[in-house]
Amino acid sequence: MGIFRRDKTAGQITARPVGTEQIGSIGARRFVRVAGEVSRIRTKPARGIPSLCVQVSDGTGTVVALWTGRRAIGGVVLGRSILLEGVASDSPDGLTFMNPSYELL
Amino acid sequence: MKIVIAGAGSVGTYMAGELGGIGHEIVLLDNDTSVENRARAIGNAVFVLGDACDVDVLAAAGAADADVVAAVTGDDEDNLVVSLLAKQEFGVPRVVARVNNPKNEWMFNEMWGVDVSVSTPHLLTALVEEAVTEGSLVSLLSFEHGKAGLCVVTLAPDSPAVGKEISELSLPREATVVGIVRDAHIVVPTGDTVLQVRDEVLVLSRSEAEADIRAALIRP
Repeated sequence: MGIFRRDKTAGQITARPVGTEQIGSIGARRFVRVAGEVSRIRTKPARGIPSLCVQVSDGTGTVVALWTGRRAIGGVVLGRSILLEGVASDSPDGLTFMNPSYELL
Repeated sequence: MKIVIAGAGSVGTYMAGELGGIGHEIVLLDNDTSVENRARAIGNAVFVLGDACDVDVLAAAGAADADVVAAVTGDDEDNLVVSLLAKQEFGVPRVVARVNNPKNEWMFNEMWGVDVSVSTPHLLTALVEEAVTEGSLVSLLSFEHGKAGLCVVTLAPDSPAVGKEISELSLPREATVVGIVRDAHIVVPTGDTVLQVRDEVLVLSRSEAEADIRAALIRP
C-alpha cells in the first residue's frame, strides 16, 4: 500500500500526500505534517513504563514517533505508510514527535 | 535565554528573580491570584495568571519559542503535565521539573517529557551522605538521561587506592577522575597524582562503570 508515487527507475518519491512536507526539510518546534513508511519499531521499557518508538522515513530523512504508555499500535507495522502531525523536538534519537496525531495510509 | 517558569511559589519566584537578574527573559506562570502581587513585584520577569496545565496558557506564556520550561509547582501531577505539554506540544528543548515527593521520582523522565528532574530530598540525602561518609560512593549528578554521572568517593584508610598513583588504579576506560578535594584544596588530577586517605575523589563516568569504580576505590 503505497501513498507515494515513485520514480520508476530510481524509486525516489516523486509525489507526497497533500499538506505534508519532506522529512529532510523540517525542523523542531514547528507544527508540521509528514508522511513516510515505518522503517523501524522499538518497544522501550523505561523503568516500568513501556513506550513505542517508531522510525518513519520518506527517503529525504527519518523522524521518530514516540508513543508513551503502550507497546504497540494496531496497524503500525514495518513498511506501513503513516502520516504524522505535530511538533517535533530534538532528542538523542533525532527529531522526535511525542504522541503525535497519526493516520495510517 | 527565554525561560518559562510554571509555579510562582517560593521556588519559582526565587528562580525568576535570579535568572531574570542575570539577563534571561522570564515568564512566570501561576493560577493563584494570591501570589500575583509578589510575582508581579519581581523585576525582569513577566507574570501570567493562568493554569500552566492548559496548552493555551502555555502558548500565551510563549512556550513555543522558550528555551527552557521549568515545572516547579508544589504539585507533582501538575509538574508532570506541564512537562509533557512542553515537550509534546511545543518541542521545548530543555524541560526541568521539580519532584516534590521522592516516591514519584520514577515518573520524572523522558516518558513525561522531563529532561532533568530535581528532587530536593534526594539531593539533600546525597549531600549529607557525601559529607559524612567515608568509604562509600555517593552519586552527585546524573547526565544524559541517566547514562552518565558524577560521583564522589571519600577514601577510607582501607581503600585499595590509598598510596597509589591515579594511573595505577584499575579504573574502567569510561571513568575519569576529574578532581580531588584534599583538605579544602582542589587537586587537579594527573596520572602521577598519589591518592591519600580522606581524599574526596570525583569521578565522571558512564553509569555501568560504578561497580568497577567501587572495586578500585573502596573494596577490591
